Amino acid sequence: MSSIGTGYDLSASTFSPDGRVFQVEYAMKAVENSSTAIAIRCKDGVVFGVEKLVLSKLYEQGSNKRIFNIDRHVGMAVAGLLADARSLSEVAREEASSFRSNYGHDIPLKHLSDRVAMYVHAYTLYSAVRPFGCRKNTKQAAKTEIEKLQMKEMTCREIVKEVAKIIYIVHDEVKDKAFELELSWVGEVTNGRHELVPKDVREEAEKYAKDSLEEEDDSDEDNM
Amino acid sequence: MATLVMSQAPVGGFSFENCKRNAVLEGEANKVGCSMPAARKTGTTICGVVFKDGVVLGADTRATEGMIVADKNCSKIHYISPNIYCCGAGTAADTEMTTQIISSNLELHALSTGRLPRVATANRMLKQMLFRYQGYIGAALVLGGVDCNGPHLYSIYPHGSTDKLPYVTMGSGSLAAMAVFEDRYKPDMEEDEAKQLVRDAIAAGIFNDLGSGSNIDLSVITKGKVDYIRPHDEANKKGVRTGDYKYKRGTTGVLTKLVTPLNLELVEETVHTMDTS
Amino acid sequence: MLEETGPEWLSEEVKTGTTIIAIEFNGGVVLGSDSRVSAGDSVVNRVMNKLSPLHDKIYCALSGSAADAQTIAEMVNYQLDVHSLEIDEDPQVRSAATLVRNISYKYKEELSAHLIVAGWDRKDKGQVFATLNGLLTRQPFAVGGSGSSYVYGFVDAEYRKGMNKEECQQFVVNTLSLAMNRDGSSGGVAYIVSIDEHGTEEKVILGNDLPTFFDQ
Repeated sequence: MSSIGTGYDLSASTFSPDGRVFQVEYAMKAVENSSTAIAIRCKDGVVFGVEKLVLSKLYEQGSNKRIFNIDRHVGMAVAGLLADARSLSEVAREEASSFRSNYGHDIPLKHLSDRVAMYVHAYTLYSAVRPFGCRKNTKQAAKTEIEKLQMKEMTCREIVKEVAKIIYIVHDEVKDKAFELELSWVGEVTNGRHELVPKDVREEAEKYAKDSLEEEDDSDEDNM
Repeated sequence: MATLVMSQAPVGGFSFENCKRNAVLEGEANKVGCSMPAARKTGTTICGVVFKDGVVLGADTRATEGMIVADKNCSKIHYISPNIYCCGAGTAADTEMTTQIISSNLELHALSTGRLPRVATANRMLKQMLFRYQGYIGAALVLGGVDCNGPHLYSIYPHGSTDKLPYVTMGSGSLAAMAVFEDRYKPDMEEDEAKQLVRDAIAAGIFNDLGSGSNIDLSVITKGKVDYIRPHDEANKKGVRTGDYKYKRGTTGVLTKLVTPLNLELVEETVHTMDTS
Repeated sequence: MLEETGPEWLSEEVKTGTTIIAIEFNGGVVLGSDSRVSAGDSVVNRVMNKLSPLHDKIYCALSGSAADAQTIAEMVNYQLDVHSLEIDEDPQVRSAATLVRNISYKYKEELSAHLIVAGWDRKDKGQVFATLNGLLTRQPFAVGGSGSSYVYGFVDAEYRKGMNKEECQQFVVNTLSLAMNRDGSSGGVAYIVSIDEHGTEEKVILGNDLPTFFDQ
C-alpha cells in the first residue's frame, strides 16, 4: 500500500493530502478480508446469514458466534474482527435496554443503528483508539445475488433458503476451507423475537443451497 | 491492622442537612427561652396588572422587623433588564439577591443572543432557581415586562411554582390588593386607568395590612419605555397639625410672688479678653 | 393577640388541591381539571389551567405541590421534545408516561405530586396513564387530586365501556362539577382537553355553566 511510511496513517484523525483517512480504509480492509454476513428484509421479517470461517478444527461447532441478540426484537450479524463485534454488540445492548427503561417500549431500529453508528464514528475521531474493524455489510458478490431476489414478495421461510444459498455461493472454497453457516430470523414466524433458525429449517436450507449450487455447476459445465 | 475504607461516589445536587440541623437547634433554643436571630422579612403589598400596551407594577415601601418598622421608604421594585422589572416580597435579602443574580444572567444571555430578553425566560430562570432551593430562598415575586410577544405578568412563589395572569398580587397585603383588582379590573385598560388601579390596590394593602405602609412605588413598562415612579403617591400623608402647643405669656395666672436674694461673698474676680480674630 | 408565626403565603407551600380526570374513548382521550390553586386557606389562583401539554398530542393533568408538578411537566416536555427529534416522529404516550414515572420514582422522597398522562399516538391510539410515586398503570379512566375521593363512587357507577367522545366529555364535566361542589380545595372553572387523531381541542366551561345536581 502506498500509504505505508508516509505518516498519514498514524492517527485516525489525520487526512492524507489527497483527502483520505487511511486508518478507516484499513478497517474496511479488515472487513473485506473476512467472511460474509448478510441480512435480508422480506414481507414478514428479516433473515440474517453468516459465513463463519472455521479457522481451526479445535473449535467446537457453534462456537465464536457471529450473530448476536441485541434486544428481544433486534439481531446483529457481523463480518470482520469478532472481538470488535462483541464490544459493539455490548454497546448496542446497552442502548436498547436504556431506551426501554427511559421510554417504556422497544427501541426503533433506525434509532438504534443511528446511535451505534455515532459510537463507531466517535472511534474514528480520537487518536487514542482505532476504528472498529467490523461491519454488517458484505461483498460485492453477495450484493449481486441479493439483487436477483424479489424479497418484498417473499416470506421468511422462503428467504432463509436463499440466504443459505447466497452464503454458499460467495464462499470461496479455494481460499477458505471449512465454514459453518449461521442463520437467524425475526418476524411473524418468531412472534417478533430474534432467534436462531431451528435446526430442521437450517438443515433444509443448507440442503437446498448445496443442491442448487451443484445444479449451477452442472449447467456451467454444459455451457463449456 | 487493615482498615476498611469505603469510597462513596459524591451525591449530586444540594445538601439540606444544615437546614434540618438549624431546625433542631431552634427547637432546643426555644426550650430554654431563647430564639434564633431571624432574617428580615418584609410584610409587603406588591402587585401588577396588564393593560392595553404594557404592564404596571406596584409596591409599598415599608420594611419591617417583627413589629418594628425598619425602613420607612425601601425600594421593592427591582430591575431585571431594560424591559423587565420584578417586585419582591418575603425575605428582603433573598428577593434582592435573587433578582440581582437573574438580572446578571439575563444580561449575559441578552449579550450572547443580541436580543432583548423575554419575560418568559426570566420567569423560567427564577422558578428553576427557587425550585432548586426547595423554598429555602424566601422570595415571592411579581414579574412583569414587555417583550417581542407583548406584555406579560407572572407571580412566582418561594417553592418555584408560577402563575401567568392578567393581574396578580403578593405579600401579606395581597388579599386586600386582590379585593381591589377583583372589583375593578377590566381587560385592555388605558395607562392612567391601570396606574390608578394599582395605586388603589397598594393603598388597600397599606391601610388594611399591618406589614405594609408608607409610600406607593410604581413602574410602568410599555414597548421601548419604562416609567419608574418613586414615590408615586404617599397613601396616608401626615395631616397638618391644627392645634398649637405653645402658650402665650400670662396664660397661667400668678397667685403669689416671693423673691429671695442669695447671700454670696465675692472671693475673686478676673477679666478675660475674647479672641475675635 | 397577634401570633408570631410569619405570613402564611411564605411558609405554606402552594398546592393544587385539585380534581383531575382523564378517560379513554375509541380513538382518543378527554382530560379535565378544575382551576383552583391554594396556599393554606387562601386561593392564590382561581383560573389556573392544570392541563399542561407535554407534546402536540400528549397532555398531563397536574395535582399536588404546584412547584413539583410544574417542574415535572416542564422537564418531561423538554425530554420529550429531544426524544421526538431523535426518533424523527411523534412520541408515544407510553414514552411520556414512562418519563414522568422515572422522575416520580427517582425523587419520590422529595416530591409530592401526582400526574395523569393522557394522549393519542399512532401505535396505540388513545391512552390514559396514572403515575403514583413511580407506579405506572394504564387505565380506561383515572381520577386524581383531593377532589377525587368525593367522586370515586360516581365514576365507578357511571363509567360505561365504549362511550364516544361527546359522552366522555359529558362524563368528565359531570365528575368535575360534583367534585368541585363537595371539595373545598377544588373549584372555579372546568378545563377540558380532547385529543384524537385529528388534533387537540381545548375548552373552558365557566363555573355558572357547569351542570347542577340534586344537592343544589
